[in-house]
Amino acid sequence: MKNRLLMLEDGTIFRGHAFGAPVEATGEIVFTTGMTGYQEAITDQSFNGQMIVFTYPLVGNYGINRDDYESIAPTCKGVIVKEHARVASNWRNQFTLDEFLKRKNIPGISGIDTRKLTRILREKGTVKGMLVQEKEDLNHAFDQLRAVVLPTNQVAQVSTTKPYPSPGSGKNVVVIDFGLKHSILRELSLRNCHLTILPYQTDAQTILDLNPDGVMLTNGPGDPKDLPEVLDMIRGIQGKVPIFGICLGHQLLALANGADTFKMRFGHRGFNHPVREIATGRIDFTSQNHGYAVDPSSINKDELMITHLEINDDTVEGIKHRHYPAFSVQFHPDAAPGPHDAVHLFDQFMELMDAWKEQQNNA
Amino acid sequence: MSKNEIEVVDDAAMKRALTRITYEIIERNKGIEDLVLVGIKTRGIYLAQRIASRLKQLEGVAIPVGELDISLYRDDVHESDGREPEVNGSNIPVSIEGKQVILVDDVLFTGRTIRAALDALMDIARPRKISLAVLVDRGHRELPIRADFVGKNVPTSLDEQIKVEVEEIDEKDSVRIQKIK
Repeated sequence: MKNRLLMLEDGTIFRGHAFGAPVEATGEIVFTTGMTGYQEAITDQSFNGQMIVFTYPLVGNYGINRDDYESIAPTCKGVIVKEHARVASNWRNQFTLDEFLKRKNIPGISGIDTRKLTRILREKGTVKGMLVQEKEDLNHAFDQLRAVVLPTNQVAQVSTTKPYPSPGSGKNVVVIDFGLKHSILRELSLRNCHLTILPYQTDAQTILDLNPDGVMLTNGPGDPKDLPEVLDMIRGIQGKVPIFGICLGHQLLALANGADTFKMRFGHRGFNHPVREIATGRIDFTSQNHGYAVDPSSINKDELMITHLEINDDTVEGIKHRHYPAFSVQFHPDAAPGPHDAVHLFDQFMELMDAWKEQQNNA
Repeated sequence: MSKNEIEVVDDAAMKRALTRITYEIIERNKGIEDLVLVGIKTRGIYLAQRIASRLKQLEGVAIPVGELDISLYRDDVHESDGREPEVNGSNIPVSIEGKQVILVDDVLFTGRTIRAALDALMDIARPRKISLAVLVDRGHRELPIRADFVGKNVPTSLDEQIKVEVEEIDEKDSVRIQKIK
């Protein structure tokens, strides 16, 4: 087995074994706490440009299957695990994680102390890291790593460039793709929606011209403040059509209505995050993947109201517009990976579209 | 459940519907301070209380909940026996003069119950505005009345009846359509 190094920008070096593609890579290191679901995580475009540390110590044991892709071309930069299972065993298994990473040109490293690494990330926040082959002069590599500027055009990298339909016989839903997870499309298709998926920079009029029953703002990677043009689009459609935002879509809905977002120290990545729905007190365990969050003190109470809170650290997990049929959540009701507790939010979206249509007909 | 009935709203859907109605009430009222919820007879009262508790959680404002007791002569079979619903009594803890009243009922059908409720409210005082929230709108109106907040529209035929159950007295939340033989 070949050796491979993980270098952090603070000078820490982890020596481990190489698997996956034989390439060098740089990216922001983040950890995710789910015990399963590595295929969903690796193919989740919200991890664009990031290296994923799996805190669960054994990864790859059930291989890669047909059903669990969240995107076609994953764009995460690296996979960091304690132990990498070379033999995959599952009735759905098609090939191993190692083979998958080779096909997708993503490097992996195993055999390092992921607990130590996670402790560093929890203390220092997300840091830049680099996966390299063992070499004599590491100083040069460190200089390179420190000089790396993380991209700010991540949504542009992962959003679709052309519109495409996913036909159905039910409600006409426009999906704005900021790096969508397939599971969002799955949940909408399951409810018979006729979907039109549009690139992220589509303007408001183009969306309204499609006469949608509702608009879905999807998840995606990076800082929501990198997308000022999207805020104009949201302001142009809110109040005219029901809106449901997830993850990045949630942050954008907040920004469009005057709230602020901030970068969290190490984010929420995993699926043991309890969230309380304020109206009813209902608790759902949710799947989450976000490094930014909405600042509760910045919320203008005449525009937005907080509907969901994280129980462990009180972060804003859901908002609703005070005057318009627009709501959003920071977590993933589409799960994948993780618990399906919050999948009822898609039903809520369907019922909101019904109620809105009824009101328009009566008005 | 017999084969003559279909559940159209289950436990989770009823809770979602009430939450959505709560959100719509906030959307359409600038400030909820002068709201009064008035529940009609048995089940409307519990639904009004649930909406009030959601408003309390979300906005930190305790909205008063009143009760109207209206007895119906015929609730299950459509054909009118010529008599109108009668108001048996009311218990509204605050003055509704100049307030925004939201009437809450489980099923909106002919509209005659709501008309009786409107009469009763107007006899008590002159609210600034009265709106109507119902869990189920089953159609077949006989009066020009419509709901402002609807949990679910359920198109029905006249040989069907809607059975609403709420946790507080029926031990579960459910709305079912039953065929009357």
